[in-house]
Amino acid sequence: MARADVGVIGAGLAGMVAAISVAEAGATVQVLAAGHATTHWAAGCVDVGATPGAYTSRDALSQLVGLDGHPYRILAGGLAADLGWLRAVLAEEGLLLVGDLDDPLRPIPTAIGATRRAAIVPDGMSAALQPWSDGEVLVVCGPAGFRDFWPTAIAAGLRRPGSWRGSPGPARVEALSVELPGLSARHNLSGLDLAGQFDDPAWRSVALDAIGRAVDERWRRLGGPAAGRLALPAVLGLRDHPAALAEARARLPLAPFEVGLVPPSVPGLRLFAALRSALRRRGGRLLIGEPAHGLIDGDGRVSEVRVPAASREFVLSAGAFILATGGIAGGGIVADRPGSLVEAVLGLPVEGPADEPWLRADPFDPAGHPLELAGIRTDEALRPTGPRRAGPGPAPTVVAGNVRVAGSLLAGQRYLRERCGDGVALASGRLAAAGSVATAGSPAG
Amino acid sequence: MTIAELVAEAATSAIGLSADQCLKCTVCQTVCPVARVTDLFPGPKYAGPQAQRVRLGSLLSPGSGPLSLVPSPDRSVDYCSGCGWCTLACPADVKVAELNNRARAVLRSGHRPRLRDWLLGQTDLTGRLGVLAAPIANWSLHNRLVRALIDRTLRIDRRAPLPRFSNRTLRSRLGRHRRSTWTADAPPPDRAVVYFHGCAANYYEPHVGQAAIAVLERNGFEVIVPPQVCCGLPLISNGLYGAARGKAGTNLASLADYARAGYRIVGTSTSCTHTLKAEYRDMLDLDDDDARVVAGATWDICEFLLDLHEHGRLDTNFGRLDRVLPYHAPCQLRSHGIGLPALDLFALVPGLSAIDFDHDCCGITGTYGLKSEKYEISMAVGAPLFEQIRASGASEAACDSETCRWQIAAATTAELRHPVEILVEAYEAYEAHEAATP
Repeated sequence: MARADVGVIGAGLAGMVAAISVAEAGATVQVLAAGHATTHWAAGCVDVGATPGAYTSRDALSQLVGLDGHPYRILAGGLAADLGWLRAVLAEEGLLLVGDLDDPLRPIPTAIGATRRAAIVPDGMSAALQPWSDGEVLVVCGPAGFRDFWPTAIAAGLRRPGSWRGSPGPARVEALSVELPGLSARHNLSGLDLAGQFDDPAWRSVALDAIGRAVDERWRRLGGPAAGRLALPAVLGLRDHPAALAEARARLPLAPFEVGLVPPSVPGLRLFAALRSALRRRGGRLLIGEPAHGLIDGDGRVSEVRVPAASREFVLSAGAFILATGGIAGGGIVADRPGSLVEAVLGLPVEGPADEPWLRADPFDPAGHPLELAGIRTDEALRPTGPRRAGPGPAPTVVAGNVRVAGSLLAGQRYLRERCGDGVALASGRLAAAGSVATAGSPAG
Repeated sequence: MTIAELVAEAATSAIGLSADQCLKCTVCQTVCPVARVTDLFPGPKYAGPQAQRVRLGSLLSPGSGPLSLVPSPDRSVDYCSGCGWCTLACPADVKVAELNNRARAVLRSGHRPRLRDWLLGQTDLTGRLGVLAAPIANWSLHNRLVRALIDRTLRIDRRAPLPRFSNRTLRSRLGRHRRSTWTADAPPPDRAVVYFHGCAANYYEPHVGQAAIAVLERNGFEVIVPPQVCCGLPLISNGLYGAARGKAGTNLASLADYARAGYRIVGTSTSCTHTLKAEYRDMLDLDDDDARVVAGATWDICEFLLDLHEHGRLDTNFGRLDRVLPYHAPCQLRSHGIGLPALDLFALVPGLSAIDFDHDCCGITGTYGLKSEKYEISMAVGAPLFEQIRASGASEAACDSETCRWQIAAATTAELRHPVEILVEAYEAYEAHEAATP
């Protein structure tokens, strides 16, 4: 049996933030995760909110706080400080975040030739956030033979009217495919493989020079140099990203920025690696493998959770637990065969649609799908309660007093639509950690 | 094969069907140490769940062969090292590494095994012969000419880390006085344990076995060493499931009575103990009562000692060991799902500062890195770890698994120790201190 002051279940952004915060407060922490989470797929940005009509993340935040039952009603107040904390933790690991709550949300290109609005991004994407000035050219450049990044198709998408979401975009978009050394002989070429190549200082110098020459040649053909920027797939190094990025900036004739790819996401992996290292540095432990299960006892407490292991269970006993297992996409909530929603670790009551047809005529109905809102309802301290009931009446009571819920498992958010997932994960991870440290340290804990 | 038979067979094959849970999220690709360094392996997603659809799909087309003969789309799955990181990292519970292991066995079924792969699986045979002729065997296996010849003929890489045979096996060192067969007067299970030494401690590193026995005895356990053979893992990872089932049967017959009587089976090799715990059932489909009871009774030695500590039963009179000790957690230990018990034990030793570099894999993964076509892959996988150990300046490092120890020792200048050796040293330091204190 392992013991920790606080057990954290889930190793996504919310769980890792919570665990780092617990360890930073001087308590012992063990993270248990069934597997790696959406950090490995997501863009590596910190999306706080990007609702229609919001000019900055803070605008989105105030819109979302106005929504009945949204987690930001509890969390929004601490978010600016939480963001500062995250920025400092990641900087210590060599990962820089650019942008803040009051910076404008800007359209940044994606690998399918569309744009998404973002304001807080890793340093490698920061050049995409600058407003486009008159006559500026965007060159979309990818390695020949790389199937996850098609410059011609991306450029065509970015030339389409409306693709810059009402903001002024580049004056023109060029596509450039560059033969990089040694790649044509490969059987497989993923973003991960390319990132590994860019970690190699010798290869990367040659490759960056090849890209630089190709850009220069295109300029010549177009009749002289112009101001512009260079969109590259997000593969500028994984283990040695800061050096790769610095070298790209130094060697390339245009300011480069990274464009997120289909999974696996290299910027997401950098984010996870930084969080993992920050956790280790503070003495926290991470065990990855199988899903955890626990029981709420008669006093409304959870004293241990169990994880299947080879031939016997791994038992973690802790004074407090943080549940950050993700929503439906993360596997924190599953549906049983008749269609009821079940919380996977403790069987907590889920707030969400019951017994209604899940399939809709229009899956992209702007009004949304009730499933998006499904999750665990909590009190202001993020302790799980039963679902909210319509109309007046007493507030639902806490069902597990030493458990706190963080991240997309929280009910009341439409994180894909509202793009609030990272902000909710960050703020709830921080708040859950503070409460759990207090619970674990109290005599009752 | 009828549809009914297909369904029945598929239903028993939970591992094969777990491919259906794959979301194509590529998390497994991000943790694969082999795909990180070579283009010859497409990565666990492609070799595993992706290729599994081809394997299972061809089952459903009329006229295809039985399950055991469904081929993989290509032979790249042979480059999977079997480290198991993909299975651990998968958020959807797909048994990726196990799928790959089975696919490799299927690829090899119906062919005569390659002499080298057969030989690498015969650790009992090579161990016994090697100990008999230890001086000659050690000389020749570390002679450059002989190794070049072996490389040419057998394709075992001339640079690969082969261990030295001991001149006497652990079993013969222990002598006949050691209780090795079932007797009614053995102490009860809370005062005796069964020791599974495996091939490494028996033929190559008897000092590890002796250290384990010393630690167990110090904590009040009589150590029973019943007859045993190779756990079978080298055969499993070389695709020789049939021979592996033979080894498993012998071990289960020897161990099951102890397990049933409540004795715990403790091993010093994380790979042997993982085989007893999981692979007999997951890989060899031995899901009978013997396999279950032995799996339930098997403990990695550090897991066992930490459990003693949690029950207040571990003698924690450790003397000071003022040193920095790099520690590498073997992949097989991660598959146990027990955390890193060696680090918890090291934390009980005053002055000892163990550093876990958190590197995924040293590269050797059993016999993988010995093979000529895989040696360089294996060294590239472990390179960051070797570099960190070299940079630490430490003269020794610790690791729970023997083949990892041999690999790291060959690639660095450090001397590699099993965690129990460190504990014995700490007990000795305590005794020395006590003796010196009036």
